[in-house]
Amino acid sequence: MRSAVVLVAVLLLTGCNGGTVDRHALTNDAATIDSINCESWLLARAAERGRLTTYYAREQAEELQIQAANFADALAHRKTASGLEQRVRAKAKEAATLSSRLQRLHKHPTDHALAAQLAQTFKQAGNCS
Amino acid sequence: MSKLLNLALGILAAIGGFVDIGDLVFNTAAGATFGYQLMWVIPIGVIGIIVYSEMCGRVAAVSGKAVFDTVRERAGFKAGLYALIASEVVNLLTLAAEIGGVAIVLQLLSGLDYRVLLPLAIVALAVVMWTIKLDWIERIFGYGGLALLVFAVAAVKSGPDWVKVGNGFIPHLAQNNPWLYLYFVIGLLGAAMTPYEVYFYSSGGVEDRWTPKDIGLNRANAIVGYGLGGFLSLALMIVGGAVFLRHGINPEHLGTIALGAEEPLGKAGLLFALVGILFAVGGASIDTVFSGAYNLAQYLGWEWGRYRHPAGAPRFALTWLVLLVAALAIVITGVDPVMLTEYAVIFSAVALPLTYIPILLVANDREYMGTNRNGRLANVLGVVYLVVIMVIAVAAIPLMIITNVGQN
Repeated sequence: MRSAVVLVAVLLLTGCNGGTVDRHALTNDAATIDSINCESWLLARAAERGRLTTYYAREQAEELQIQAANFADALAHRKTASGLEQRVRAKAKEAATLSSRLQRLHKHPTDHALAAQLAQTFKQAGNCS
Repeated sequence: MSKLLNLALGILAAIGGFVDIGDLVFNTAAGATFGYQLMWVIPIGVIGIIVYSEMCGRVAAVSGKAVFDTVRERAGFKAGLYALIASEVVNLLTLAAEIGGVAIVLQLLSGLDYRVLLPLAIVALAVVMWTIKLDWIERIFGYGGLALLVFAVAAVKSGPDWVKVGNGFIPHLAQNNPWLYLYFVIGLLGAAMTPYEVYFYSSGGVEDRWTPKDIGLNRANAIVGYGLGGFLSLALMIVGGAVFLRHGINPEHLGTIALGAEEPLGKAGLLFALVGILFAVGGASIDTVFSGAYNLAQYLGWEWGRYRHPAGAPRFALTWLVLLVAALAIVITGVDPVMLTEYAVIFSAVALPLTYIPILLVANDREYMGTNRNGRLANVLGVVYLVVIMVIAVAAIPLMIITNVGQN
């Protein structure tokens, strides 16, 4: 029983976000960054059209900003599989840019012009449909 | 007339009270990941919770004993203790996730700090539980939870492909990423068959002094309440497919789910969704904390009862207060309530057989239940779901590991 618990704990820990970034992990992380971009696009578009409450726009933008910042930090520092470092660090920069854009939306949730401008950049960055 | 009105009001409260954070997270995420391909799992889960609840309610009506009274009696003190510990751990994880959910929605509505809102949410829940009669608590949170019907409107307005929705009711395996697909099957079943709902339900039957004359009422409650509540799960999955999958979004935050109602319905949709989630998750917090206290009190033979003044059942009252504080201690560490929900749902699937099997045995016991023991249909369904529950209990943790808790 005890060894089963240890095995589960080890497997869970190795599955967490702290290991080497291999091709599979990079694909997953890239998909998540795209997902955050697309959600940010919906959020900014709704803010532009005045379809959100100020608090919702501000707080949800902050949630997404923190998530993007965590990705930027992790991808900038984690070890990578050979041949992938350049792509991983590029994704880190992409996540950092996303985080700073979301920071602007968080600070100015009622600025419709800014929201419109950000919505376009989020949509482009995430290839959203 | 007043009986009919009461029944109608009860049904409305049941619909509003069916959905909890597990349903919100898993149904929306399943729709966002696999579109409508997993629609078939929802009816299976809903029938499962109906079968389980109906048996527990019938046992309560015939014997006057709730789930953990029965488990201790049938499984013995030692074996029953494993079931109790497993159920209490899962209950606590679920409670922590629900309370985190309440604080997140309050944050989205008020702009206040999440860490400030957590203790405020706990105090508010404790005050409500201490001062308001349970009938009123159920009505308030059940009717408030009806705001979630906005997702049914959003599901229609978001223009899903209804042919694909219909095809989703035919059980099949996904071609792409079958492990993740199976993980969602387990998660959806676990979310629909959450054990705390059953503990709460059967304890309520004992407190309402059900007798064998109430077996028809028990059956109607279980079928109509859970059946109609499952309708909301379908709506959430359709919104997941029609809004989030279409735009390439994996909803990882509770607030994102509300955006699924904003997209087709605007600001009103967003507000209805947030209020509905707040009441649904708040009501589920109260059900969960009461369930935890019921389980312990029934197992240890303490005085218990939500209709009793706390002074009349002090250890019961102390237990739910301790559970609230323990849940706060978990969630204030900063753990993500959505991630906590996934763990709670998966572990509840693992623990489900520990209480399901004793109830199935008792419900089928001629000496114990007399003429009210399981009929042929109840037995067939009971055994089929025993197999389903055993399979999901065995597969849940390996699938959680293989898919990295549904992350890939």
